Amino acid sequence: MKHTFIRALLVCYLLVTASAQNPGDGYVNFIRQVQLAEGGIGTVWNMQVPPDGQVFSPLAINPYGARFEVHTVLEDSLVGFLLDSKYVASYIPVAEVMIYSEDPHNIIPRTRADRPFNVQITTNGLRNGVDDPEPSKAVKILHHVQAYGAGSDGTGINRTQATLLNQGFINSNGEQTLTYAITQVSGADRAKVRGEERFSVFSIADYQAPESQLDAQFIQIWPVADGTISGITTGETIRFAAPAVTFAVNDVYPEARVYAQIYEGNSALGTEGYIIPGSARIYNESIPQTYLEVVEGWDRVITGDGIWTMELLTSTPFGIDRLAHVTFNVDRTITVNGTVTTIE
Amino acid sequence: MKRHLAIIALCSTLAASAQQPGKKPVYRDAATHDQIVRIVKVASQHNPMENLLTSEGEDPSIVNQPTDIISSSDIISFNGLTTLVPKRAILQTPANFQDRINNHQPGNRIVNWVDFMTRNRGWITSVEVTREQAEGHAPIARELADQLAKSRNLIVAAYQAGPISVLPLKEPVLSESDTPATAPEP
Repeated sequence: MKHTFIRALLVCYLLVTASAQNPGDGYVNFIRQVQLAEGGIGTVWNMQVPPDGQVFSPLAINPYGARFEVHTVLEDSLVGFLLDSKYVASYIPVAEVMIYSEDPHNIIPRTRADRPFNVQITTNGLRNGVDDPEPSKAVKILHHVQAYGAGSDGTGINRTQATLLNQGFINSNGEQTLTYAITQVSGADRAKVRGEERFSVFSIADYQAPESQLDAQFIQIWPVADGTISGITTGETIRFAAPAVTFAVNDVYPEARVYAQIYEGNSALGTEGYIIPGSARIYNESIPQTYLEVVEGWDRVITGDGIWTMELLTSTPFGIDRLAHVTFNVDRTITVNGTVTTIE
Repeated sequence: MKRHLAIIALCSTLAASAQQPGKKPVYRDAATHDQIVRIVKVASQHNPMENLLTSEGEDPSIVNQPTDIISSSDIISFNGLTTLVPKRAILQTPANFQDRINNHQPGNRIVNWVDFMTRNRGWITSVEVTREQAEGHAPIARELADQLAKSRNLIVAAYQAGPISVLPLKEPVLSESDTPATAPEP
């Protein structure tokens, strides 16, 4: 029997860096080529690839196509995660999904619950001939949303539990940009939602293969930070040493800076003041953080009596957000009321 | 049309208000639930996917999921290290190595195949196979099969140094022209 393999080597490549974890981060990556066959899965091959860059697969793809999968496994426990998969076959179109937000972080796209983002879908290889097979004429776009649990960073979530919000077909080659003014991850407090929105492109099913993922990308949505200043209240007057103040911040955006500043006068958003010593922190974390900071002796930046305002701020890729502020009086002038009398 | 322009203007405003290098940062009070709900209300009047052709049906991301890598692998462990190979990639397991297969010990470090092989060449032999052999369209060469039968090592099939599953040899389907002629009846 003559095997019906595609004789021409179908070269395909994987963009490994897009979603794989870096070695040394506590993960080990596995890239698999799964040959689809009549009735299901055929041969499975674990490719040996460098940690980043592109690699051509030498394993020729048969007529049913192949699925390329990027898995990562925790280095210290046998827990695996599927990071990405792409289906490749002879007449199946190629698609790419890219998501852009105001945050330039480029490993996993991310934004905040109050910010917009764009989705760019690029399709190539779509045909429109009368005799062309149906899967070559269109691809299917899916939009899923999935909320994370309170305090969760999304690790290990079951993506089959995501909600399918919308789906549609694309039947022409080129770029399509979808603009989202704000996240559609819902929650009782919209400022505090955390979750992800996923955009996937699937092939159309035919007798050779079911609908299979051509590309997918997700953007993580993180909550808006909130904070409080305690230890001093609006309207309070400082006469001697300033009290210790406590800055409490919830949900600091990944890699954001948090600091407190003080300036003379009433509250005026946008004023640049003196940064309170000991209050500044940078969070080089990939998920939101919560913290408490007690600062004493901060009044050395107060240069005179009068009305002063203290603000707690966070600097993010979206701008500088004011989380809390208090306006208080400083009155350290000692007034001596006395009289001088003489007696003859 | 006006609705679309309103959305675009809203997004442009939001984008323009973000921090840009070299420009004075934008200050604002942290957004509240009520402020966000107002934006959601405007945004919900416009579905960014409304211009696409309508599609319905089952969610393929649920019905056609790739399998979990752990359950679709054989796990080889030894001396504090563990690695994964596709099921059916292990061609031969001597009895004295049975306890090293699918017996991951807590505390073992997961490594890739190359790192694992480098440290375990003494008891694992990696055998290169062709795609035809892996897909069950060609048998393993007799000489190699004889050699493997004599080996006391764990034998793992590989393609270009990566472990690969080897499907059972498929029986050839004979066409009419290949069918041996039957003897004519006397």
